[in-house]
Amino acid sequence: MIVQGTPQAPGCPFTGALPEDAAERNALLSSVPADHGVVADSSAAAAAVEAPVADWVTIPDLYRDPFPMYRRMREEAPVHWVPAVNRYMVTSYAACHTIEQDADTFSANESGSLMKRAMGHSMLRKDDPEHKIDRDSYGSTLRPGTIKNHWASIFEKNNTKYLEELAAKGPGADFVWDYAAPYAAENLRLICGFHNSTQEDFQHWSQTMIDGTGNYADDPSVWAKSEASSKEVDAAIDDMIPYLRKNPDPSLLSGLASMPIPLESIRANLKMTIGGGLNEPRDVLATTVWALLANPDQLADVLANPKLFSVAFEESVRWVAPIGMYPRQTTRETVLEGVRLPAGARLGVVLGAANRDPAVFTDPETFNIHRPKKPHLGFGGGAHFCAGTWVARAQVAQVAMPALFDRLPSLRLDPDNPSIDAGWVFRGLTKMPVLWN
Amino acid sequence: MPTITFVQPTGKSDTVSVEEKTSLMRAAVANGVEGIVGECGGQAMCATCHVYVRPEFEDALPELSEDEDEMLDCTTAERTSQSRLGCQVSVGVHLDAIIVDVPTDQV
Repeated sequence: MIVQGTPQAPGCPFTGALPEDAAERNALLSSVPADHGVVADSSAAAAAVEAPVADWVTIPDLYRDPFPMYRRMREEAPVHWVPAVNRYMVTSYAACHTIEQDADTFSANESGSLMKRAMGHSMLRKDDPEHKIDRDSYGSTLRPGTIKNHWASIFEKNNTKYLEELAAKGPGADFVWDYAAPYAAENLRLICGFHNSTQEDFQHWSQTMIDGTGNYADDPSVWAKSEASSKEVDAAIDDMIPYLRKNPDPSLLSGLASMPIPLESIRANLKMTIGGGLNEPRDVLATTVWALLANPDQLADVLANPKLFSVAFEESVRWVAPIGMYPRQTTRETVLEGVRLPAGARLGVVLGAANRDPAVFTDPETFNIHRPKKPHLGFGGGAHFCAGTWVARAQVAQVAMPALFDRLPSLRLDPDNPSIDAGWVFRGLTKMPVLWN
Repeated sequence: MPTITFVQPTGKSDTVSVEEKTSLMRAAVANGVEGIVGECGGQAMCATCHVYVRPEFEDALPELSEDEDEMLDCTTAERTSQSRLGCQVSVGVHLDAIIVDVPTDQV
């Protein structure tokens, strides 16, 4: 079994949570300038308030179940300074939405980003126009037309393979590690165009580079693993490019191989995609199935009306956003929903909290496929709107879920071996034993 | 300034005046027009700025690109021959007033 990350440890791959260990934390804090400085008064900011300090938020609590803390923060103010994660956490829907719509004030190009060290400077940490060049280099690979004409049949083939492996494993198998993870990893491997690698390579590379991205404790063994994976990805790319130039296919690397894009960008963007394109479909598949199995009335509605598979998928992304938080940094002093922020402030945009804001969603803590439809923020918004959105929808809602309930109609959670959901930057099931007849 | 009229399914309408070269999506989002989301910020990637352009304005519209065409197949409300993505249609000298119907659903 592949273990998801290091529970409760440094935690914050794509954002910057502080390590839990006091010595590691002090070492880090002495190396990083604090952003939470005093802001000079200006007329525009005069009416605004300082961000309240949420010193009661801890990383272990966030890891176990962040939602009660998100609720408490959201009820108090849309933005808090959170010492435990060394950044402001933005928890209201309106404030998160404002950030998504204003890339000039809220930059993705965060200073001191460990993601840049672990994976190189990918499009995820660039602003337009630099971001757009990289984003455009992904061409039509992830767009609905290519999914329909090319990837859908491949996803179906992969789904059959891994679903049969799950069935062969027998009742008591783990839904995440015996099915969702290898299925998502194999799909991603082919989308990336790594014909010289395995889905196991992808799971290993993804997790070790994510761990590097969150290595605020500067643990040499974490860097060693992350750097080894990074080099293996570089070698796989170098190996594949000549082949794909001669034998082009609809994969990302094939498209990139034919473009005047610097190798450095190709490497960084593919590493970001390997790190950021595997957990999400894996976790949304498991979370959606977990929620439906826990709500048999809603599962019955979905099975009676297959159009509801995609509704269940979206409700799941709202309810437990697989990426719960991502970073931004202010380029200037600003006021966000009445809260004053200094220039250079490091922010965590907490989609996991925004998606449960009662100002937008009624009874937000409940999984309910019949709720009035409102746009959630689970895929992000603006220029950084998730490039893999349609791939995720296709592989999970169109291909995997209908086939799964068709193949294993008596699928159920194991009452004697409970599932475990965990995480906050990435949240999903870390254990999900299932039974069937 | 060019004007855009968004007609809601309820019959209620909003007319907004915007700078030339502003897209229908941007105009709607900036003015808080209901029913236009524009999640992806105008990349023809999310299909949440779907509008039905009234037939009398058809000739002034830009051609449908492949990206817009495939994305229109992904709209939540039914695609019709009047369907366009609001992010791909801009107002300007060639189109100084336009009326569009907002669909019942974007998500």
